[in-house]
Amino acid sequence: MLTPLEIIKKKRAQALNRIISKGYLSAKRVYVGMATCEIAAGSKEVMEVFQEAVKSGLNDVYLSQKGCAGRCNLEPTVEVVEQDKIPVKYGLVTKEKAKEIIERHLKKGEVIKEWIIK
Amino acid sequence: MPKRFNITLCDGPTCLHKKSKEIVSAIEQELKKHGLAEKTGINLSGCLGMCGKGPVMIINPGYVIYGSFAEKDIPEIIEQHLLRKKPVTRFIIDEDHLYNRFFRVFGDVNFFGKQMRIALRNCGIIDPENMDDYISLRGYEALAKVLTDMSPEEVVAEVKKSGLRGRGGAGFPTGIKWELTAKEKSDEKYVICNADEGDPGAFMDRSAIEGDPHTIVEGMVIAGYAIGAKKGIVYIRAEYPLAVKRLEKAIEDARKEGFLGVNILGAQFSFDIEIRLGAGAFVCGEETALMLSIEGHRGMPRPRPPFPSVSGLFGKPTLINNVETWANIPVIILDGANWFKSIGTEKSKGTKVFALAGKIKNTGLVEVPMGTTLRQIIYNIGGGIPDGKKFKAVQTGGPSGGCLSEEYLDTKIDYESLAQAGSIMGSGGMIVIDEDSCMVNIAKFFLEFTQNESCGKCTPCREGTKRMLEILTRITEGKGVEADIDKLQRLGNMIKKASLCGLGQSAPNPVLSTIKNFRAEYVEHVRGKSCRAGVCQQLLSYVITDKCVGCGACKKVCPASAIISGGAKTRHAIETNKCVKCGACFKICKFNAVKISRTKEPR
Repeated sequence: MLTPLEIIKKKRAQALNRIISKGYLSAKRVYVGMATCEIAAGSKEVMEVFQEAVKSGLNDVYLSQKGCAGRCNLEPTVEVVEQDKIPVKYGLVTKEKAKEIIERHLKKGEVIKEWIIK
Repeated sequence: MPKRFNITLCDGPTCLHKKSKEIVSAIEQELKKHGLAEKTGINLSGCLGMCGKGPVMIINPGYVIYGSFAEKDIPEIIEQHLLRKKPVTRFIIDEDHLYNRFFRVFGDVNFFGKQMRIALRNCGIIDPENMDDYISLRGYEALAKVLTDMSPEEVVAEVKKSGLRGRGGAGFPTGIKWELTAKEKSDEKYVICNADEGDPGAFMDRSAIEGDPHTIVEGMVIAGYAIGAKKGIVYIRAEYPLAVKRLEKAIEDARKEGFLGVNILGAQFSFDIEIRLGAGAFVCGEETALMLSIEGHRGMPRPRPPFPSVSGLFGKPTLINNVETWANIPVIILDGANWFKSIGTEKSKGTKVFALAGKIKNTGLVEVPMGTTLRQIIYNIGGGIPDGKKFKAVQTGGPSGGCLSEEYLDTKIDYESLAQAGSIMGSGGMIVIDEDSCMVNIAKFFLEFTQNESCGKCTPCREGTKRMLEILTRITEGKGVEADIDKLQRLGNMIKKASLCGLGQSAPNPVLSTIKNFRAEYVEHVRGKSCRAGVCQQLLSYVITDKCVGCGACKKVCPASAIISGGAKTRHAIETNKCVKCGACFKICKFNAVKISRTKEPR
């Protein structure tokens, strides 16, 4: 009989495997804020832009929603997380800005500094 | 540009006397030497929670924590870690603690870097609808730990030792609540999560559930084990549909993985949770009213004792805690009660989440250790007041709390100090007020809210708040007399003493605290019939100055025919007794000829 601690360790390994199989180890991970406050600020549209891009072949990107980190007046927020780099946090993201983040940051690796949350 | 590296140095009170200033300048010197100054951000954090190991710094990317190093070790750390990518292992604190995980993503942003996150540790960094995200960050390990290694009594003792107090507002010691409920002998017991968040301007609980629902589930299951309950209920308001949806999904997923249901994680312990929706009556956040509402009755408070721990839901022993309290439980179990009680002040341990709103540059969710000052929250994290306006007051605790003036800015936040200052901790609303707001009007706003939400069961609250509101309305309309101020105080103190539940007992607070701290404004309203902030409409008067060219625009828009003129191109005037103070003439005038005077009669 496994103890609960042994069971949870097994479950954690399985959970990690499932996340990885969904592409967690991609070069870039994108998190879009999807709490009530973020959605009210327009994050659903932003999310759709990213989802569309992933569907139409944006490579090596892991897209996820997230809760609210708590930076209300800069919502919607989007984070781009890359290995060995400080995560880039964009604020006041719109549909149009999302498209540019995809073209410039995700595809060409250019950080759009004007939109960064300081 | 985002920097290549970021160094977060702990600047908490204990680390301070370990020379953070000298360390920063030593770091800066080394960075310059290696040409890394431009590429590296340095920020000073609040407490990083590793007080015994100071000085502590986190180097990102990678979230490498260094501790117990000396000034002389800095050249080595900077050179080896940043330049050669070889972290100096002998100073690294290798702990996978639950708190402050968000530093990996947000630590370099000042707004976040000065916070300490325990309850909101996963909010904004995981997908709340994907249980795997939660599990991968040691989710449900606290549950597994108590089921494997701890007896129910040990769990209660651990929570008691942590010093955690109820985050819903009253600050009752959580461990004692657990102990009392555990002690009761009954075939049935209940665990309740109070998610009936209703303070205007407060949204901590919604964000916590929407951002990390599993931590609430885990906290409740642990409590079920500790007190011997099989059933948990989350009482959440229907106005939070997304929070409800995420919580439903979390419960369903947890059931599938065996974190809820029969024989949880293979142990001899069964527990399940259901959700009950509240219709949004503010009084249902009061625990006895909440339980009546779950039972299907009208939500009205009843006298205590008996306390819920003895006779709660359906007359059974019931443990009821607030959302934020639940979110602290897994951390207390895994990071330990000893660690938890090292954070905060003597009587208030851990952190508190505040919803920072109002006239403040950075609005948002702020979680800081108890003992942080209001000034630190408003200026260092919140960024101060926008548009160069002057700070006037900060309102804490929502409609049950009070307004504190500038002299209280250095108050260290905990349950006792805020109460002493005339406000309360409350559930965490924090509204910043600038010089453009009228304190009488703000008191009236909050009283209007509680008066509306008073359930009507007890007379002091039902009738008393009504009378207070009438007096306040009179004052804001310029019909108040000087004795009204004392009458408000007398009535307020009576309501506080005689009301049945927390709603009535705290409803007068906004009025009493504004009279205490801003009495001059009340006096101006009743004596001078003037409102210095220019908010109370009835205390304003409009006059037309000699800038008037006689265009007649104001005359056309005035709904009360209060504008008199001797014809086109002559200076117009306003008949004060006809004027309804709508401001239409002020808005339409292109020549800035209409002036607002902040007194009832034009001066």
